[in-house]
Amino acid sequence: MTRGAVLTAVLMAVTLAACTSAPKKDLALEQVRNQLEELKSNSDLSGYAPLSLGEAERALRAAEAATGNATYRNHLLYMADRRIQIARTVAQRQQLENELQALEDERNRMLVRASQLEAENARMEAERARLISQATAEDAERARQLAQEARQREAVSARTAEQAREEAEQAKALAETSARAADLARQEAELASEQAQSLRRQLENLQLRQTESGVVVTLGDVLFETAQAELKEEAMASLVEVVDLLQSEPDKKIRIEGHTDSVGSAEGNLQLSQRRADSVLDTLVSLGVDRGRVTTAGMGEDFPIASNDTEEGRSRNRRVDVILLDD
Amino acid sequence: MRLLFLIALTSLLTSCASVKPQPEAFTSAEQAIAAAVRAGAEQHSPVELRFAREKLAEARKGMEYKQFDKALYLIEHSEINSELAIEKSRTAEVRARLGEQARENEILREDFERTFGESFE
Repeated sequence: MTRGAVLTAVLMAVTLAACTSAPKKDLALEQVRNQLEELKSNSDLSGYAPLSLGEAERALRAAEAATGNATYRNHLLYMADRRIQIARTVAQRQQLENELQALEDERNRMLVRASQLEAENARMEAERARLISQATAEDAERARQLAQEARQREAVSARTAEQAREEAEQAKALAETSARAADLARQEAELASEQAQSLRRQLENLQLRQTESGVVVTLGDVLFETAQAELKEEAMASLVEVVDLLQSEPDKKIRIEGHTDSVGSAEGNLQLSQRRADSVLDTLVSLGVDRGRVTTAGMGEDFPIASNDTEEGRSRNRRVDVILLDD
Repeated sequence: MRLLFLIALTSLLTSCASVKPQPEAFTSAEQAIAAAVRAGAEQHSPVELRFAREKLAEARKGMEYKQFDKALYLIEHSEINSELAIEKSRTAEVRARLGEQARENEILREDFERTFGESFE
């Protein structure tokens, strides 16, 4: 608006003053001078186009200095006005370029910042990934350890089981041994028991009694075959006991007396009793008794130890007495 | 001698006129207008471009009337208007770039704020 007005004034001045010796157009000069002053005092623009501003000032000085020829002076005024406009637009451009530079700087700052943030994000992402992978690795390690522990436990269990098995086997073996030992002991006990029973039976057959003459062992009728002088097979064990008894007192003399019941003839009974006494003698000698210690006698039916009226009494009377004689 | 007189007379008659502009001066002014057009003056500085063309046309007219000083001044007026048109066009282009840059920065800022959050700068 102002510029347009000035321009119009200048153009009018130039046109009016063209090639004529017109009076001073101080108004037009003032207007151009004001234009320049206004531009110079504009703090936003004044510093931006020193060269163009210098040219504008020189043009104005030239116009001011021009005297006489009004056309020439108006020409210089017009040129000064244009120079001022050029200085203004150059200054504006410089200002805009500074603003543009500021925007480009801002843009670059944003890009740098963005790449920093991006790098930061990537770093955090990598860190997160690293943590996750570490956690995974730790899980794997834990699982590995658990598996290892399980394997060890298994191994221990296997060893324990093996030990238990071995111990069980040992125990079984021990038990078997014990069982065998027990069996053996049992057998021995049975054997001992049998022997004891056998001895008891034998002692039942051997009736032992102390008399004035000495210890008398009576061999019962059951040891002999009926009405025979020979001893039964099973009588031998009883006689071994008798031998033991006799040999316990080796210095003492032995007398063997045969006796019968009253059945049959006295002569027959006497002979039978003698033969039975001799039979016992032979047997004792065969079992290790010195024959020199022994004398025999057939006593017949005259020395009963029980009544001949009953079978039980008669049985007791059929006997052989082995007497270990006292001195 | 007769020629010198004629010249002096012509000078007096045409008042102020002293030197006839050379054709090169017109060529130079034409080139300045062409440069202004190339600088985008048709769009950015149409008034000054028009002045440059009108002044040159007046200068040619002045030549026809032998107003050589006037023609000389008008050529200079044309040239300085072309110069002004070029400077204005350049300024306009910087202004346009500034606007583009401001929009670009705004888009970039929004984009980054979306990506990195409100804390971006």
